[in-house]
Amino acid sequence: MTTPALKVTNLSVWFENGSSRLTVVDQISFSINAGDATGLVGESGCGKTMTAMAILGLLPESGVNVRSDGIEINGRDISTLNTGQRRAVLGRDIAMIFQQPATALDPVFTMGQQISAVYRRHTGGSKQQARKSMLQALESVGFSDADDIAASYPHELSGGMRQLAMIAMATVCKPAVIIADEPTTALDNSTRALILEQLKHLRKLHRTAILFISHDLAVVRQICRDVMVMYCGRLMEKTDCQSLFAHARHPYSAGLLSCIPQISDTQPPPIKSIPGQIPAPADLPLGCHFAPRCNRAEAQCRTSIPQLDCDNGTGAACFRPL
Amino acid sequence: MIRDTWKKLKSDRYGMTGLIVVMIFAMIALLVWSGLLGQGWSDVTGNRFEGVSSKHLFGTNLLGQDILQRTLFGTATAFEVGLVVTVSSTLLGTVLGGLAGWYAHGWLDEIILWLKGVLDSIPFYLFAAAVAFALQGSPWAMHLAMIVTFWTTTARIIRGEVMRIKQREFIEAARAIGLPGLKTVFRHVLPNTVHVLLVQGTIVFVAAINTEVILSFLGLGIQDGVSWGLMLAESSQEVLAGHFGNFFAAGASLFLLLMGFNLLADALQDALDTRRALI
Amino acid sequence: MNGAYLTRRLLYGIPLVLGVTFISFLLMVYFGPDKTYELIGKNPTAEQITEVRHALGYDRPFLLRYGEYLRELITLDLGISDSNGEPVSSILIRTLPVSIALVVPGFVLGNLFGLGLGLLAAWYRGKWLDKLVMSASVVGMSISFLVIIIGLQILLCTPYGLNMFPVRGWQVHDPGSYFYYVAVPTLALVLVTLGYNTRFYRAIMADEIERDHIRTLRAYGARPTELLFKHVLKNSLIPILTRIMFSVPFVLISGSLLLESYFGIPGVGLVTFNAITSGDQPILKAVVGLTGVLFVLALTINDILYGVVDPRVTKGVTTS
Repeated sequence: MTTPALKVTNLSVWFENGSSRLTVVDQISFSINAGDATGLVGESGCGKTMTAMAILGLLPESGVNVRSDGIEINGRDISTLNTGQRRAVLGRDIAMIFQQPATALDPVFTMGQQISAVYRRHTGGSKQQARKSMLQALESVGFSDADDIAASYPHELSGGMRQLAMIAMATVCKPAVIIADEPTTALDNSTRALILEQLKHLRKLHRTAILFISHDLAVVRQICRDVMVMYCGRLMEKTDCQSLFAHARHPYSAGLLSCIPQISDTQPPPIKSIPGQIPAPADLPLGCHFAPRCNRAEAQCRTSIPQLDCDNGTGAACFRPL
Repeated sequence: MIRDTWKKLKSDRYGMTGLIVVMIFAMIALLVWSGLLGQGWSDVTGNRFEGVSSKHLFGTNLLGQDILQRTLFGTATAFEVGLVVTVSSTLLGTVLGGLAGWYAHGWLDEIILWLKGVLDSIPFYLFAAAVAFALQGSPWAMHLAMIVTFWTTTARIIRGEVMRIKQREFIEAARAIGLPGLKTVFRHVLPNTVHVLLVQGTIVFVAAINTEVILSFLGLGIQDGVSWGLMLAESSQEVLAGHFGNFFAAGASLFLLLMGFNLLADALQDALDTRRALI
Repeated sequence: MNGAYLTRRLLYGIPLVLGVTFISFLLMVYFGPDKTYELIGKNPTAEQITEVRHALGYDRPFLLRYGEYLRELITLDLGISDSNGEPVSSILIRTLPVSIALVVPGFVLGNLFGLGLGLLAAWYRGKWLDKLVMSASVVGMSISFLVIIIGLQILLCTPYGLNMFPVRGWQVHDPGSYFYYVAVPTLALVLVTLGYNTRFYRAIMADEIERDHIRTLRAYGARPTELLFKHVLKNSLIPILTRIMFSVPFVLISGSLLLESYFGIPGVGLVTFNAITSGDQPILKAVVGLTGVLFVLALTINDILYGVVDPRVTKGVTTS
């Protein structure tokens, strides 16, 4: 069995407010192999971005508690690194692509400067080497006019171009893992397709493992082989995309799928939604988080926490899966 | 929103301390105005430069006047200057800023902006001197000079706020119903700016007192009565000879009042900052 | 950075300069002291009065006199001081360097320390260091300039304190004596401005540190020093520059006014102060007019610098 590119074991993130504890991410475990893309899907506020931040170690030290039994990149546990060692890892072995490239990029430096800076920071090469790698990275994401892009400031580029440039920045050091946090949410459909193509290309070319975070199942399906559904800080279902779309086993996943509007020639069906509301982090129900909104819930669901039955890493955290 | 603000304010220890300090000084000022305190500020009741004694708690000054009495009266002067300048410049700034913001980029706005630029560019103390000349040394020259230059900051803030609020939906709704422009401004826009005005008001008050001190030192300040500024001006020579009464009395009072205001202003700003949660 | 932008900024300055000079003229000259009687002496006849008034130009129409004032300013034909007969321009040439030498160290240090402390406080936001710096700032802001000056004098210049520095004066002929005379005023200036500067810079930096692109930098392993000094500072340059540019005229004029009149240093401030108390019109006219122009110049240069520092500005993209 090969070492997975990214392996997260029992990751938790919580806030402590006096005597009470707000758990935002609850014992998440998963692994992604090199060259694979796994989606992390869930509604806003379910803890997806927190998970990403916790993996990178970017959460502030005071006020937030992070704990895990291991965050491994190619077998090396980065959760136990000190600050200096971690800084060496960030951007070189694992890189992140953010949702809003307009604000995520520094407005007073050119794209070239920013990407070269990342390269030099981790490789310590000369300026010429850095420039070469930077231009290569830009070309590899599809820019035919890499020189022009390198000389441009973020505000001079369109949304799609900015995101592509961001991808270039993420890949210039050829990391083993890329976390993409809603990379296409802020873009229109045509640019979205472009970005997704690039990510697929990356996967194949550099055998990069991709953790693709999104609230949009339809987008995840286009690029990921596996998918994880998250709700209120816990993973509800973990399986491959085909299986999920064919037959979701967790009631929540099924609910999400049914919400995707279908284009039809006849009268458009009413837009469905999952009844009830997402509970606030301070009011999480005991037992299964989804129980209050589930029409298959029984007594057991309200008192005990269903675990993901790990039948080769897939399964649904449910006492009564579909 | 007022209740939330008050709650937040109460929980801020520094802010409450500031508020209490300011209230104490305000009380003193009130008492002086109503004739119950500090009335003997100009009476010569002792020998020159008497030290601290039970008869003269802060000692006496060059002329034998009781420093404590003068300090108390100075409180009233400080508040008088502060209030007059703050209220007037805030009113002026609000009206002009409101007009400028409402008619943003129009001719009225350009004129008001130009006026602001001009007034901001004139060195203040020279302006105060010029006004004093023009008014032939009237005691209100100082206030006038301050009002005419202090309104600009308030106006800038109000203009920004009005421009911001103007874009919000409920104003559009009001206009859609056909409410006349100016009326909309006063009924809906301005009440939303009160919080900013309050903070700015405290800042202006502090600036006014500070300015009076320096103006009095330059001889352009208070002409009748006594103020901490005058006392400090007197003390500048006295301390070289070892008489620290005036200096400590006026210096300490000034420091306490200003500190109180600054703490209050900070706390107000924090309390009114709706972006931050009440954690 | 294009020519159109430049000319636009320069043109904006003109109405401002006109406004400033107009008000200066109005206050200083028009409402100013009427010198007629001073020059004539006792029991003037009606003829003598009209004669003198004519010589002084009082009987000329308003706009003409304003025009003359403008001309005088532009050509720097500033007349002759009333108090000692020295030409105003030579007075200015003599005293301006002194004022600059007096004020610059304090100004520079006050801003440098303010920047440094503000950066520190913003980086450790919420921790004890931040609270310490902010508390100290509030205290600093609450002490009046005058109190600081007098206090420092007591502490450093009198036998009641350390008595290391002079109470007044300015006999500067070498770096040693320069330090001797400039030390206390500089200290006073730094102490007064430090509180305000620190708070201001801290607010700006704290805002900047919260921004998304700083988070991106962290996600790519940037070290704190690089973050702070390369990225946070550069992005904050605009408000920083604005503040510095705007405070230069203020500090130069007001700071020198007080410091010089207090420490007896023969700079522009002292000259102005004396002019105020003695009503020396030519000097006041010149100083007010010129400082007004200086302010407008500062404003314009500031706008131009915006364009240099932030590439978004000249291209017409609105910043936030």
